[in-house]
Amino acid sequence: MLNRLWKTFRSSQVGRSIFRVGLPESNLERAQVAVSSFFLHFQPAKVHRRSLKFRTTLGLGLISLYLFLILIATGVLLMFYYVPATDYAYQNMKDLEFVVTAGQVLRNMHRWAAHLMVLFVALHMCRAFYTAAYKPPRQFNWVIGVGLFLMTLALSFTGYLLPWDQLAFWAITVGTSIAGYAPLIGQKLKFLFLGGHVVGESALIRFYVLHVIVLPLVAIMLIAVHLWRVRKDGGLARPGAAQPAQEDFAPAQVPVTKTYGLMELARGATPAVGVNPDEEVFTWPNLVFREILLFMATLAVVLVLAIFWNAPLEQIANPVHPPNPAKAPWYFLGLQELVAYSAFWGGVVVPGLLVTALIALPYIDRKPRGIGIWFAKERKVAITLFSVCLGAAVVLTVIGTAFRGPNWSFQLPWKPVAAAVEH
Amino acid sequence: MNSPQDQMHRRTFLALSLGWCSAGFAALASLAAAGRFLVPNVLYEPERRFKALKPEDYAEGPTFLPNLRVFLFRKGNSFRAASAVCTHLGCTVNLSGDGFHCPCHGSVFDQSGRVVSGPAPAGLAWYELTLSRDGHVMIDTAQPVKADKYLVV
Repeated sequence: MLNRLWKTFRSSQVGRSIFRVGLPESNLERAQVAVSSFFLHFQPAKVHRRSLKFRTTLGLGLISLYLFLILIATGVLLMFYYVPATDYAYQNMKDLEFVVTAGQVLRNMHRWAAHLMVLFVALHMCRAFYTAAYKPPRQFNWVIGVGLFLMTLALSFTGYLLPWDQLAFWAITVGTSIAGYAPLIGQKLKFLFLGGHVVGESALIRFYVLHVIVLPLVAIMLIAVHLWRVRKDGGLARPGAAQPAQEDFAPAQVPVTKTYGLMELARGATPAVGVNPDEEVFTWPNLVFREILLFMATLAVVLVLAIFWNAPLEQIANPVHPPNPAKAPWYFLGLQELVAYSAFWGGVVVPGLLVTALIALPYIDRKPRGIGIWFAKERKVAITLFSVCLGAAVVLTVIGTAFRGPNWSFQLPWKPVAAAVEH
Repeated sequence: MNSPQDQMHRRTFLALSLGWCSAGFAALASLAAAGRFLVPNVLYEPERRFKALKPEDYAEGPTFLPNLRVFLFRKGNSFRAASAVCTHLGCTVNLSGDGFHCPCHGSVFDQSGRVVSGPAPAGLAWYELTLSRDGHVMIDTAQPVKADKYLVV
């Protein structure tokens, strides 16, 4: 019945104008559909069998992308109720929790998807490192990936400020104070972020605009370039792949009397040289099917989390008293642990050096060894260095999360110290 | 050596420099204007000079003034005021018997606001106190003073 309806629609004038190819039935159509559909053309018509194997990427990048899509959908819906004013923001959260139909679930989904996105973007970066996917020709795509990681953190930070609860207020206070430690421009930067000297209305609206339009637009652009370059750099990194030749269109070598189709602008000899056709399968349905499956799994996990666990909301912002201890979300607790030693070294210098090192990595470690292989033996030094940094970040996060009690004093997680009652 | 065809004509050079300079100037000016736009000219913030109660209205010992985030100390007929804003990252410090404790990153200050331990780069500020004509305590949070400066009434 549905099948008949679809067929009637497809063969109608309207149907043919929308779906140029339709559901592909031949290999020709499978290739055509990947080229002619806007949503499929980010991918090549055929992909390497190895790219489809789960263990090649563990699906981490795609999961990050799906979480971002879930965040856009739920975020736009939340915007219909949220007013970025200090008098209303917290009450809007309460409305979403108790009054608006499905408001609680949507807020939960938005919160858990955001937490998961930080986790999966970080894991995706680890995957790209441990499989040497940042080596030539993919250096710049790694740099864009670092940018996306920073965007994810910035979106998370600006996001949890919006409910205007205790976490929000003291996070803005501490976060902008860290910016104030930046050399030379620190205090100006802090004033610009806050739109004044104190944390209040003008700070809230600034972070709101950043969260709902500026940062998402930048993130969407970076994601588009990131995905595009995965394809243009020859698909996923894999061992033994022919190095895509450098851009060399060399127009002077051909007689200028002839016009050329776009196919002549491909890199190198032709894209298919050195590729065994038996190892390539059609994107439709092989890759598309797996992608849809992974999306459904991601959505299901976020939904389950959102239904069974509520997003935290602390007490309404109290500009006089921070909670004790005042803790950021888990992904910033490593940083908080660092700034608890020194705001300048821990909040400005160490993070700045780490980001610089991440950006410089593909230009320093560029020998084409172990590309596409997990934990390749010939990359011992690089893998050890990265693992030590990663381990340090995890340890700091665990200490900040579990081992810090009132007044940020050291405590054992199984022996929590009660905060002394102070006036 | 460049062949004569490779050399740029003066007219092309002038047109290109004029074009690129104009484009660059327009871009920079727009950026500067947008940047300046984001810096507010008028701030709707609480006054930094604050009129508190009369000296006799304060009990012996510390009183916390939440609007200013200031501790006002009375010792007999002398007064002084310490900032409760941690110099590290701006949290409000708590007063306990032996000094001030910051709940955010664990800075500890002694009773005169000096750093005892923790990441705070400087001691807590002390503010100038004056007496207004109608006999109220005036606190000026824009005027830091030394810890041993008292207002004696």
